[in-house]
Amino acid sequence: MLQILIPILVDALANAALIFFVAVGLTLVFSVLRILNVAHGSFYSIGAYAAASLGLWIIGSGLPAWLTFPSLLVSAALVAGIFGPAIERTIVRWTYGKSEAVQILVTFGLFLILEDLQRIVFGVNSLYEDTPMGLLGSVTFGGVVYLNYQLLLIGLAILTIVGLKFLIGHTRLGRLIAAVVADREMSQAMGINTDRVFMIAFTLGIFLAALGGALATPTSGVTPGLGADTMVLAFAVAAIGGLGRIEGAAVAALIVAVARVLAIYYLPALDAVAPYIVMLVVLLIRPYGLFGSVAARRI
Amino acid sequence: MQKLLLITVALVAVCAAGISTPWLQFALTLAIAKGFAALGVAVLLRAGLISIGHAMFFAIGAYSVAFLGRDLGLSDFVGLLVGATFISALSGVIIGAFMVRYRAIFFAMLNLAVSMVLFSLLSKLYSYTGGTDGMRVASPTFFGIAAAEQTIDLILFLTTVLLIPAVGLIVNAYLKSPLGHSLSAVHTNEVRLAYLSVPVGGILMVAYTLSAALAGLGGAIAALAIGHVLPEMAYWTESGHLILVAVLGGVGGVAGPFIGSTFLELTHTVAAGITDSWSMIVGIALLVVIFFLPNGLFGLFNPKRKERAI
Amino acid sequence: MSMFRRTFLAAGALCAAALTGATAQAEEKPSVLGIGVFSFTSGATAAYGLPGRNAAELMVEQINAAGGINGVPLQPTFVDEAQGTEGVITEFRKLSADKTNEIMVAALSSGNCMALAPIVDELKIPTVGWNCDTHQLFAKGAHPYYFRPNGNTVPEFLSFALYLLSVKPDVKRIAIINPDYAFGHDAANIFIAAIKRMKPDVEIVAELYPKLGSATFQTEISRLTAARPDVVFSNLWGGDLENFVRQATPRGLFSRSQVIFALGESSLQNVTIPEGVIVGVLGDGWWKSPDATSNPEAKAFVEAYRAKYGAYPVFPAMKMANSFLYVKHAYEAAMKTNGGKWPSRDEVAAAMRGSVVKTLTGTTTTREDNDGIVDQIVGMTTTSPDLPFPVLGRMARYDGKALMPPMNSDPIGWISSLPDGFAATQPQPGSYQ
Repeated sequence: MLQILIPILVDALANAALIFFVAVGLTLVFSVLRILNVAHGSFYSIGAYAAASLGLWIIGSGLPAWLTFPSLLVSAALVAGIFGPAIERTIVRWTYGKSEAVQILVTFGLFLILEDLQRIVFGVNSLYEDTPMGLLGSVTFGGVVYLNYQLLLIGLAILTIVGLKFLIGHTRLGRLIAAVVADREMSQAMGINTDRVFMIAFTLGIFLAALGGALATPTSGVTPGLGADTMVLAFAVAAIGGLGRIEGAAVAALIVAVARVLAIYYLPALDAVAPYIVMLVVLLIRPYGLFGSVAARRI
Repeated sequence: MQKLLLITVALVAVCAAGISTPWLQFALTLAIAKGFAALGVAVLLRAGLISIGHAMFFAIGAYSVAFLGRDLGLSDFVGLLVGATFISALSGVIIGAFMVRYRAIFFAMLNLAVSMVLFSLLSKLYSYTGGTDGMRVASPTFFGIAAAEQTIDLILFLTTVLLIPAVGLIVNAYLKSPLGHSLSAVHTNEVRLAYLSVPVGGILMVAYTLSAALAGLGGAIAALAIGHVLPEMAYWTESGHLILVAVLGGVGGVAGPFIGSTFLELTHTVAAGITDSWSMIVGIALLVVIFFLPNGLFGLFNPKRKERAI
Repeated sequence: MSMFRRTFLAAGALCAAALTGATAQAEEKPSVLGIGVFSFTSGATAAYGLPGRNAAELMVEQINAAGGINGVPLQPTFVDEAQGTEGVITEFRKLSADKTNEIMVAALSSGNCMALAPIVDELKIPTVGWNCDTHQLFAKGAHPYYFRPNGNTVPEFLSFALYLLSVKPDVKRIAIINPDYAFGHDAANIFIAAIKRMKPDVEIVAELYPKLGSATFQTEISRLTAARPDVVFSNLWGGDLENFVRQATPRGLFSRSQVIFALGESSLQNVTIPEGVIVGVLGDGWWKSPDATSNPEAKAFVEAYRAKYGAYPVFPAMKMANSFLYVKHAYEAAMKTNGGKWPSRDEVAAAMRGSVVKTLTGTTTTREDNDGIVDQIVGMTTTSPDLPFPVLGRMARYDGKALMPPMNSDPIGWISSLPDGFAATQPQPGSYQ
């Protein structure tokens, strides 16, 4: 029994870590901007494509292989830097205070544009760049070989939770964000530059999505259509945790991951259904998610 | 009077175009099928409800045709259309009973959740649904008479075109009725309706069921036209496209969604020969419509409306 | 108002034009012979589908350079199957409506072939399924205009069961990971039925069906290793196969279990498949098989392909090339029977039925139900002295006829009723040299 429990646990943690980054980005954007960004998944796949391309370029031009580690971070930062401020200023800002229908539609339009943009920039073929995975080697748990890279991801996810909590609770920027989340009009009246806060929060959200995609590349391929699949999974995780709740996203990622891994081990026919059944059950009982409050405003 | 003439001429033009070019006939049948589903989405949009899962009823209608044919041996054209629409409406009642308790983003997300459960079940239950391969749909018969495939396609096309005014009149009558008018009242001020002891839940149930039936009818037509049903019909991007079609065409009138979907289908056909960045064109068009043509879009973008507290 | 009138008039004119066009149709020699060619050319599956498309391009070039078919040059239109089945059906209808397109080479995916079959029946356009293998295609009713010269899943996966039991007769635990659609499920059913028939005590310890086009298999790999199988069988292909190999190698799957990649040959040049893995070509289409290397036409094709695309033609490329030879043969045979006139669609279909065509890599015999009979080559990866990637060693070439169930029979029932000494009558690994 134990022999199977350990692999299930490690797999669940590894899976949870992978979904966490993109889901927490979605939830962060929602909590600050109160916008459900349907194009969020596209930044995951753009991050993945960027990281794979950069990694392939590093290897191709004979640079040291360890550079592929920082390149994961760099590509996510690049994606966030290029898209975050530009999209927030031109398109997303326009939808503040509009109805959900408008926000969903505008971001869906953005999703369609970004999908084709990826085709144009990165082509239609799959990319694969696994140097970081190879460099780190492997380890055996419960008779199953795992990659040290998978464990590194679990650590990074935990670090991100702590980091985000610290950022919001203990820094000036965090307090500004919290103030804006709590009361937009009042913050404005107090002289907080809400426009700037929105832009930073949106860019941070995109950075987290792109980082999720970038960190996934060493252990998975990058293919067209990744954005749409990730979007809906991130959606499920964020909704289960309660839109706008960071710890909610972490717990929900773990729940969804456990459900998927259990399904693959014992009921493979249901592996793809598991996350959505969890989402449905949770939302029917608690529409605001496990950690959400009725106001859904806290961060 | 002039309006009636205009509609008649438009329908005749569509008929003529479809009869003369067989592949265009197929494309138009599909476009109109999606128009029905988009009309369903538009009905809900009047009440300010946005569903990112409405493609599930399209898929339910389509798979109903496939199952009715395969497991019950039903092959009659009218029977299949009526049966599939009925099953979709019934699903609408069951799912709607849960949905109408929610508003705004929660309504959108719950619909998404249900549609994704349906999508993954359709794609994973290989032995029942054919999995990602989908299911074949056998050719229908007409009152017991089997016809050649080309004839079937033609009858299906003409029926579909004729269904536009038929269904359009019903939906129009509904929207003009107190039931329909109260939808926009739900949109603008739901609390006031409650004070007036108007049963908001019941109003929304009727709207949800009607929209599910419309989407199911569209799905059934699509299943018969393609001769095949697929899980992708329920995927969330399909739901997104249905909203898009409704908004592009305008949710104000019954004709809007049909104009939207036919226009999209025709431009797609033209654009396919020139560029493969079709999604980008549609995405930009959507943004342009939302940003610069807000007045043409009924109620949805009413500037007077206060932001809804969630 | 006037716009609508104009539209209406234009539609009416179109209608009239279509009618006159239809009546003018006759069996005159056309200026070009249009062919619709369907394959996956984008996304994860393109790794397998692009070689097919490349081979089609090259064959058209070569046939046209030699004067086309009876002086009529081929004009291909390529369609990407990655757009989804609905798009594939729409494209198929659109292409068929154009009278210059007299024949279709479609499709790669079993799912798409199944979806196209009723449309082929309706449009009565001769269609060659160049790669799709599911035995369900002709099991649920005849499709008089659909032909499949490369045969079906039954002989293909029966041959892997035979090969496995020859090289590893003590196998006890088998795990399966196949793509989640007709092809993956059919293959698993046939392989399991065959193994159970010949070695009833084998246990299936895991059966996984990830979605076609999955980016990551990490959890599946954990599940497979945790099941401790002696043998892992898989008919993953294209980008999926490459991802799986890359992800499974560092996690020790290959050192713990004997792995079978039924479509492994198609990825040998793209990803490092370790030595000793059982791989096949789903038919006889290996470019470096003894039959192919002794056939000057095949050698010329391989050289031309390599010169043009910088790689050797993997088996989907050979299948596509063979399908074009099949089409060419049908037109020539039809013209021979009707006295040299350009053949009608019906005459082309009639010429395909029952035909025996010599291909680049062997022979394909088309049965009365339009299914093809071809030999099956299975081997094991081994290093090659003159190539930078592994090749097939210890090969067996199974006679296609012996592994093909009779027409209109239930394939699983047929496998279960195979005689006891059946495996002993079959060729042994290493016998094909």
